This record gives sequence, structure tokens and C-alpha cells, in this order.
Amino acid sequence: MKRQFEVIKRDGAARVGRLNLLDKTVTTPYMLQTKEELELIREQIGENGVLKVELIDDVEKIPQGIEADVVILGGAVLFEKDPRGLSKALTTTREALNADSALYTPALATPENVSLLVYAGVDVIDFMLAEVKATEGFFLYEDGEERFQDVLLPQCTCNACQQIGELKGLPFERRVEIASQHNKNALQAELYKIRARISRGTLRELVEGRCRASTTLTAFLRLLDENYDFFEKRTPIVRTSTMLACTQESMNRTEIIRFSERVITRLKQRHGILLLLPCSAKKPYSSSMSHKIILSSIWKFRRSINEAIISSPLGVIPRSLECVYPPSNYDVPVTGTWSCDETKTVSTRLLEYLKANSFDVILAHVSGPYKDVCNMAASLQETDIVYTTINEDLLSPASLKNLKEVLQGLIKEHRPPKRDLRFDYIRDTIDYQYGTGVSDYIFLDRPKIGGIYPTYHASSNGVRIATIIKPYGTATLTIPGATRYLKSFEGHYCVYIDDFVPKGTVFAVGVLSADPIIRPYDEVVVLNDKVISVGRALMSGWEMQSSTKGGAVVIRHAEER
Amino acid sequence: MRDFKYKNTRGRKGQGAISWTGVDLLDTEQVRSLTIILRTKGCYWARSDGCTMCGYIYDADLNSSGAEVKNQFDTVLNCYGKNFDVVKLFTSGSFLDTNEVPADVRNYILNKLSSVPKVIMETRPEFVTGEACEEISKILNRAEVAIGLETSNDLIRNNCINKGFTFNDFVNASKLASSYNLTVKAYLLLKPPMLTEKQALDDANTSIKEAARYADTVSLNLCNVQKGTYVEELWKRRLYRPPWLWTAVEALKQTAGMTTVICDPVAGGTARGPHNCGKCDDELIREIREYSLTQNKAVFKTNCEDRTAWEFVLEFEHFAYGAPLIN
Repeated sequence: MKRQFEVIKRDGAARVGRLNLLDKTVTTPYMLQTKEELELIREQIGENGVLKVELIDDVEKIPQGIEADVVILGGAVLFEKDPRGLSKALTTTREALNADSALYTPALATPENVSLLVYAGVDVIDFMLAEVKATEGFFLYEDGEERFQDVLLPQCTCNACQQIGELKGLPFERRVEIASQHNKNALQAELYKIRARISRGTLRELVEGRCRASTTLTAFLRLLDENYDFFEKRTPIVRTSTMLACTQESMNRTEIIRFSERVITRLKQRHGILLLLPCSAKKPYSSSMSHKIILSSIWKFRRSINEAIISSPLGVIPRSLECVYPPSNYDVPVTGTWSCDETKTVSTRLLEYLKANSFDVILAHVSGPYKDVCNMAASLQETDIVYTTINEDLLSPASLKNLKEVLQGLIKEHRPPKRDLRFDYIRDTIDYQYGTGVSDYIFLDRPKIGGIYPTYHASSNGVRIATIIKPYGTATLTIPGATRYLKSFEGHYCVYIDDFVPKGTVFAVGVLSADPIIRPYDEVVVLNDKVISVGRALMSGWEMQSSTKGGAVVIRHAEER
Repeated sequence: MRDFKYKNTRGRKGQGAISWTGVDLLDTEQVRSLTIILRTKGCYWARSDGCTMCGYIYDADLNSSGAEVKNQFDTVLNCYGKNFDVVKLFTSGSFLDTNEVPADVRNYILNKLSSVPKVIMETRPEFVTGEACEEISKILNRAEVAIGLETSNDLIRNNCINKGFTFNDFVNASKLASSYNLTVKAYLLLKPPMLTEKQALDDANTSIKEAARYADTVSLNLCNVQKGTYVEELWKRRLYRPPWLWTAVEALKQTAGMTTVICDPVAGGTARGPHNCGKCDDELIREIREYSLTQNKAVFKTNCEDRTAWEFVLEFEHFAYGAPLIN
């Protein structure tokens, strides 16, 4: 069966796609714009024609195994003012459908809510609610709606609004005409913006802003965020765009929660001396001036201690992970004050980090809100934290001197073994990506570490095993590295393909099975009986298995077994 | 009712019939009428299965006896007297169902009303029998059986309303009644659940036209949301919206002249009843009632801004796949 819908780009649950509507091809998210297009969709329902359209008329009873190009969430408009019902309906429906079915919510989209609908996985919308609102006397904008009597002058530069100099005194029907066209223009403009943001990986930032248009919409985003698993299985491992964490809702972001969980569950346990530092505006932290100053004054001791950075909203970032996403590429508003939520959440993360590891001594060279976080964690755990800053001045000669002296004393007392910090980066990044203990297997022998920060690489007997690459900061395996990996982790982060030699891009249609834990941009091992290869996933493993269209993995190296 | 059991909502407290006086059309004259709703055991159909929109079963008294029904009637008559041109007998079921109103009580009632120019009895078609018609025609001058046909469309009547009889049943009852010189009134339901506004308008137009062939009067009832009904479940989930008043007006205008069509918007202008935007509701309700008495479509003069919204709904609602576009 030839599919008429294909996903081109992904950003979480949101997709940019291509849909063949019989006589033309359109880019999704797409707005059905005319009565003819609405009729076209309706005529195809259950017809088993070229364009397969199915209708879900009861969201409580979604049939399993639907195979269709377009799936209609019947009666979607009933959720217009029901954010809880809508978040449940959308996540349930999207989860029940294949990735290569386009989800259509009739008569539900407005300029203010469409970014959230797409964020939750909607691919097709229409003009109906926008026009209904015009007939009810509303102008719709992406930041909310206005009644006709409140719009005396045009508030927009679209061709409909610019026809008229002044709206005051115009008859109702004329205003309906203008509003109807304007509302559709506004909806279309939002779609262009949304598509661009999906391509850049910044849809979440748009959504966090747009949801302020109404209380219902903000509630809707918060309710959507409660579906962690739904979004996590669709969220990429890395992005090149900067994560802007500007709102209360930013703290609920999947990437952040997943990062914190992996820091606790996937990394090798550390011992000895922990030095907590505050985060910096410049990322990665080591490249910032504050960290450079601190690190250069303690350079002698760095190989004997464990460094970790405290940050809101990411929590605790081990130094070795400062180059992975999101720590490598995020930004938060800095005012010198943290909210209660931030302090509480980050101190919980710090507590978890302390519990997951086994430190003998905890030092904190911090001040201000970072110190509050440490205090809160210390009081809850009944641990002692030694503060090394003098007079709250992080970079003063006195503070740095104090830090040095304290470290010197502790190292003399505890005699921790010296480590290769470059190896820390590679090892922790591998474990972060693949899971606990993977680095132990890959690096059974003591690997030789080379390269310059941050693109370190590990070799064994002159054979390269793994490298950290730019721009993502991910650790990639070579074929020998992958061979070692497969000895103990067959299946894990693996993609099994049909009988062909993979080159360039492997398409989903060539994938027989894939580990469902794979996320977009994960480094994966691709294999069949004849060839072993490594590459970067373009979609999640579960999507590779159930899709028939689209690129699944970009191959980096391939070799016959 | 498929998979839907009537909820145990508390019925109407207190004994006794409900009654009121009003103005009705008798041929072309406006006359005084008396309406009596007797409290019986209740509609047998509602007790076993039930129509999707009807909550009248909750007004029933399961322990009601023939004697009580007789007493109720006597009380009403003592209160109002018999000096009316039209008397309407309801039971929120079937007046001719002898389980609700035993034959002797029925005959007693009809005998008491033998001097009334016209008596109307509400009933399901299955109770329009030869014996009943015979008795009635012996006692009354002018009798009319009023049947809840709801729609002329068997599929809609069965699947959306769950009425439990066919158009043929209605036709047969109508022919039988006519053969005894009884007249027939057909109650039609504007906008049963699970129809779009346009489907509802078309259904009403067709049903009025079809019913006019077998009924002397048609009463167009605008569907409202009664407690404890399947329609209420849909309405709460935002899957049902009572009809727009514009739709009722349009149906009356388009069928004007076919037959006498009367309409009384119950709960008009409220969220549970037929409504428009709120600004024109009162005026339209008044016009609809005036039309019922005059049968003159020139009474419909009001225009309102929400007509554009209604027209959009008519044209596009079926692309919303099951939910109303505007509430």
C-alpha cells in the first residue's frame, strides 16, 4: 500500500511532513482551507482509495492497528474548553496511531492554540473554528482573541485588516468578512512559524510563550507535561538549537527530566571528594571566565577530585557531561534570585546525586542561590557541606586561596587516586548514551586517550574505539568499538536491517526491528548477518519499526562481519 | 435503550395531576384549552427500553392505580370546570394504554368530557385499536389521537430516538382512527440527538410534509435536554446541542401552508432548550408562538447578527464529525 503521508522532520511529538491530497502535495502541519478540501477528506473515509482516511468517532474506543494516511479525531471541537480532556484525547490517539498517520483535529485550531496542538502531535487542522469565531464576533490573534467592539483599528498587517482604515462603525456582516479572512491568515502565519521551529528544534520555546494567551491554554501545556513517557519516547537526544528555559513550565521539559534521571541511573558511581560549583552563562561551563579562573587556580588537584555543577533547571551536571545536550547548549534568565520551585527542585536533584554516589567529602565553592540549594540539601540529608567561598565572593583571591588550601589538605588526608579527566568525559558520555556499565565493557583494557577538548577519543592497541564529536557532543563508536559493544549488548540500541549493505541513509522500510529505546539522534549500531555499521538515528526505534516511510539512520561507517 | 440504563433520578414529589389552561387553535379560531397530565404508572416503553430524549418516566408513579387516576381527574375538573373548547389528556405515556388508564377509568373521563367540543388524547400508535376508537367515537363529539411520530424517517426514529415503532405503524393507526372519524395529531421532534443542525432541519421539513398526509395537525417539538436521559449524557459531553431557534423558524417558514403546524418552544432560550445567541431568543420564541396561533409566516420579522453563525453551522457542521460547532 503506497503511503500518502511521510514525516520529514521531528521535534518531539511535533512533525513536519508531506501529505499527498490526491491532486496536490502539501506540507504539514497543514490547514484545510476550503470546503472542497473538507469534502475531499470526508469522501475518502473508509473508502480504501489512494488516500486512506479513517475516522475515530469515539476517543474512548480507538481501534487498534489503524493503517491510514489521515486519521480524523471526530468531534474534536468538543475539547475546545476542556484542556484535560484534550490532552488525554490527543496523547491517547497519537499513541494508538502509527507515526505515518497524519492526525487531523477538525474545527479545533485557532492561532493561539495551534502551536500546542502540533506540539502534541496534530498534523492537519482546518479553518472552521477560526471562521466560526469570526461569525461570533471575534478577531483571533496568536496572543488571544478580541471582540469586535474592542477592535477599533486594525491590529494586524494582513491583507484583510489592511483593507480598512477604521473598523468602528462598520456593519457587523462586513466585520465578519474581514475577521474571517484575518483569522485564517493568522492561523496560516502560525503554521509557517511552527514548521520553521520544528526544523530548528525550538517548538517548545514557542509553545511556552503562546500558552500565556489564556488560562485554558496554560493549563493545557501543564497537563500535557504530565505525560512524560509520551513525550520522552519522541524527544531527541540532542539538538543544535539553544534550549531557552525561561518559564516555570521549562522545568517540566522532558529533556531536563531525562537528563537528571540518566545522571543518577546511568553513570558510574563516584567516590572521594566532590567539588560543587555554580553554573555559568557561557556553555560549556569550562569555557566560561568564572570556571576558567577557578579551575586554573586548582589545576593541580583536578585529577584527584570530582567536579559537578549546580544549575537551574538542569540540576546537577557532572563535569564530564558538560558537553552533552542540554548542558552544552541552554540558557536561563539570570537575576541573582531563584524561585522557591527552582531551589526546591534543584536541591532535590542534588540530594539524589549525593545518594547515588559515595563521596567522602563534599565541598561547595558557591554563593547566593547555589548556596541556598546546598543548604537545603545538606539539612535534608544531614550531610556536611564545606563551603570554601569567603564573603560570598567566588573569584576573590582570598576565596580561591581558601579553596586551594582546603583541597590540598583533603587530598593529603584522603589520598584519592589520580584519574585521566579526558577519560572521564568519554566514559561518562558513553554510559550516559548507552546505559550503566557499557563503558566498562568497551574499555576493558586501559584505553589510550587523545584529542583536544572536547573531542576526545579512546584507542586500544592503536585501534580507535570511540570518539566524542561536534556539534552534538555525542560519543560515537567505531566499528571495532561497536564489535566490542555487541559482545555484551546485542540488541541494545541496535537496529536490525534487511539483507543489504547500508550506505548513506537507511530507510524505515529497510528496518526489520529496532530497540524501542532509541531516540532521534542517538548513536546506534546497525546490523544484519553480513554487515555491521554505526550511525545516527533520525527517528525513535519504535517509529523505525512501525513506519514504512522516512529515513531511519544515517550511516557513518559500515564493514563486513 | 442500548447500553444506557435510566439513572435513578428522583421523580416528581407529590401526588396529583399537573394541569394548566391556555389558548389553542381550534380549526382557525383561538380558543380556551385545558391541559391535564395524569400521573400514571408511566410509559411502558420507557420502563422497558425508552426514548433517548424523554425524561417523563421520572414523573411516573409506579404504584398508581386506576382509582387514583380517576381521583386526579376529578380533582382537576373540580378545580377548573369543563368550560373549555379543547381538553388535552396526557399521561407522559399513552392515555389509551389500559395498563396506565384502565378502560373503565378512561370511559369515565371521556364521558365527563362528552360536552367538550374537542378532546385530544396522547398515545403511542399500538394502543389505537378498533375497540378503543369505537368507544371513543361513541362518547365524544370530536376526538383526536395525538401520536409521537417524532420523524418520518425510520432510521432516525430507531437509531437516534429509539422510539420502537415504524412510520407504517403510525400510518395504520392514523387510518384506523380516521375510519372512526377521529382526527390525528402528529408530534414531531426537531433535532433528535446525533444529527447535525442541517440534518435536523431537513428531517423536520420532510417529516412535516410526510406527516401532513396522515395527520390533521402537526406539532413541532423542539428537543430539550431532560434530566436522566441519554440526550443529557451527550449534552454534558458536548456532543449534543438543542436546536437553534432559527432552525425552528426556518422549518415553519418552509412548510407554511402544507398543514397546521403548531410549536411551543419548551425551555426556549436556555442552555438545555432551543436557543440562539441570547439576544434574539425571546423575540423569536414570541414569533414562533404567534405563528402557532395564526399560521401566518409573515410574523417572522426578527433578524439578528447570529444568523451568519447559524448559516455557517448549517453548511459546515457535518465536517465536525459528531460535535456541535457552536454551543
